[in-house]
Amino acid sequence: MTDELLRVAGVVKRFGGVRAVDGASFGVRDRSITALIGPNGAGKTTLFNVVTGFARADGGTVVYDDREVSGRPAHAIARCGMVRTFQITKALAAMPVLDNMTLAAPRQPGEHLVGVIARPRAARRRERAVRARARELLARYGLERKADDYAGTLSGGQRKLLELARALMAEPRMVLLDEPMAGVNPALAAKLLEHVHALRDQEGTTFLLIEHDMEVVMGHSDRVVCMAQGRVIAAGEPEAVRSDPRVIDAYLGGGAER
Amino acid sequence: MTPVLAVSFDALTSAGFWIGVGVLAGTYAIFTLGLQLNVGFTGIINFGQAGFMAIGAYAMGILVVRAGWSLWAALPAATAIATAAGVLLGLPSLRLRADYFAIVTIAFAEIVRYVAQNARGLTGGNQGLLGFDDEWLDLSDRILGWLPASVQDQFLLPLLIVVWIAVALLTGLLMLLQRSPWGRVLRAIREDEDAARALGKNVLAYKLQSIALAAALGAIAGYFLALNLSFLSPESFEPQFTFIGFTILILGGLASYVGVALGSVIIWTLLEATRFVDLPLAAEKVAALRFVIVGVALIVLVAFRPQGIVGKREEMVLRD
Repeated sequence: MTDELLRVAGVVKRFGGVRAVDGASFGVRDRSITALIGPNGAGKTTLFNVVTGFARADGGTVVYDDREVSGRPAHAIARCGMVRTFQITKALAAMPVLDNMTLAAPRQPGEHLVGVIARPRAARRRERAVRARARELLARYGLERKADDYAGTLSGGQRKLLELARALMAEPRMVLLDEPMAGVNPALAAKLLEHVHALRDQEGTTFLLIEHDMEVVMGHSDRVVCMAQGRVIAAGEPEAVRSDPRVIDAYLGGGAER
Repeated sequence: MTPVLAVSFDALTSAGFWIGVGVLAGTYAIFTLGLQLNVGFTGIINFGQAGFMAIGAYAMGILVVRAGWSLWAALPAATAIATAAGVLLGLPSLRLRADYFAIVTIAFAEIVRYVAQNARGLTGGNQGLLGFDDEWLDLSDRILGWLPASVQDQFLLPLLIVVWIAVALLTGLLMLLQRSPWGRVLRAIREDEDAARALGKNVLAYKLQSIALAAALGAIAGYFLALNLSFLSPESFEPQFTFIGFTILILGGLASYVGVALGSVIIWTLLEATRFVDLPLAAEKVAALRFVIVGVALIVLVAFRPQGIVGKREEMVLRD
């Protein structure tokens, strides 16, 4: 399929004798919202880590935007336009919210020692543009009043919003969200989902998200991929995956013969 | 009968004493600026700063004395050598977790010191290395000539002036770098490496730059140490000097470059002034007691003002 932005093929990740990911294969269509579901310990986060370069696969390939990215370092993969968030938010607590945002912007000549000294005007110009964009995004996510506060003073839900907004500063084509709704109050979670839809519709951003809330998964994703014991056991339309006996079996505690 | 405890204030009112303290404070301010860059702004624990200081000082000394270079050519060359040493040390070991990296750096500094002690053909070993400062002494005399007649007997005054000009310039340069987007990436790495990586920052490259710059600062401090003493010997680079640097760092405040100069002046005033406390004890016990005083002061400081004199309290308490 040519409209796949991400293709995971036969990925294996072992921790000692445990095969956390055991030959997982699936694709993520361009401009889709794909949910990755599965019981605890199914290997979802480990797979995220492999895809984004935070863990090295023991086998298999990851192809993003027709380029093989398996084995490349995490920062290089992020620069290709595939940006992730973390299950436990990584707000840079002792930095102001605005700095969290401006940090993520690409193509800043002032981020290199040579650029700081040799191209101060280009760096300042880029910084102005980046700040304007950061304030605009913060306003959209209701964080504009927090811009100058330390990120460590934000609530859990606000941190999730900040992480999404920060990921967007990196100008991604694809965003991987690891349990974006966990620990977020329902009103804020609804808003977060609204933003995800808007981004997909308006900017064509592709999303792959790990989620446990079945209501969210069924109501908001175009496709669902279900993992169990390190393997992909079903993939397709939400309704089809939900009624798949293997999925039901995995969620009810696989192996329980009736 | 002599009093049990007597302090001779004569020394504390002499200009010579304060000039000596000033030179030491300036030298170790530059030394600690490197630690501040690593520890305060990048989150990498460098216990090997005395090793970089030794590499810089000995490279300069060897180039002048053994290879016959001019001092002014040897200074940039020695700085480049120390910077390269920083990269060489960092390349394999910066991939380690912060605490293991700290262990590697202290081992590195000790290796450098033992090499200096034993490579007698190059370094002079424990006898020391002499005769690298003729060109500096000429310049020093010329600077002294520009100064008023009343201070002509203070032969260390030119060194004091030059070292504090260097402190001011380097502090300014580092503050400029810290306010740049480059400095922002360093701070992000200090807060959370993985977050920085997820946003496309090459964490290893930034850490290497941080340690290489710290090595250069250590080397520059090494030149002032060498010019102050007029000779180089391995005992000037014992690990305790790195820990004096850390004391200055914590006293001045983590993540503040201005605090470094302030902390250095206070620590060296304490260390030098306590030399003149007369106690009915053997000299080596008095010397040890000076470090006890510094240690107690440090404990009190960390307990009651963990952010140091000018550090930001928020940056201490908002760590996840």
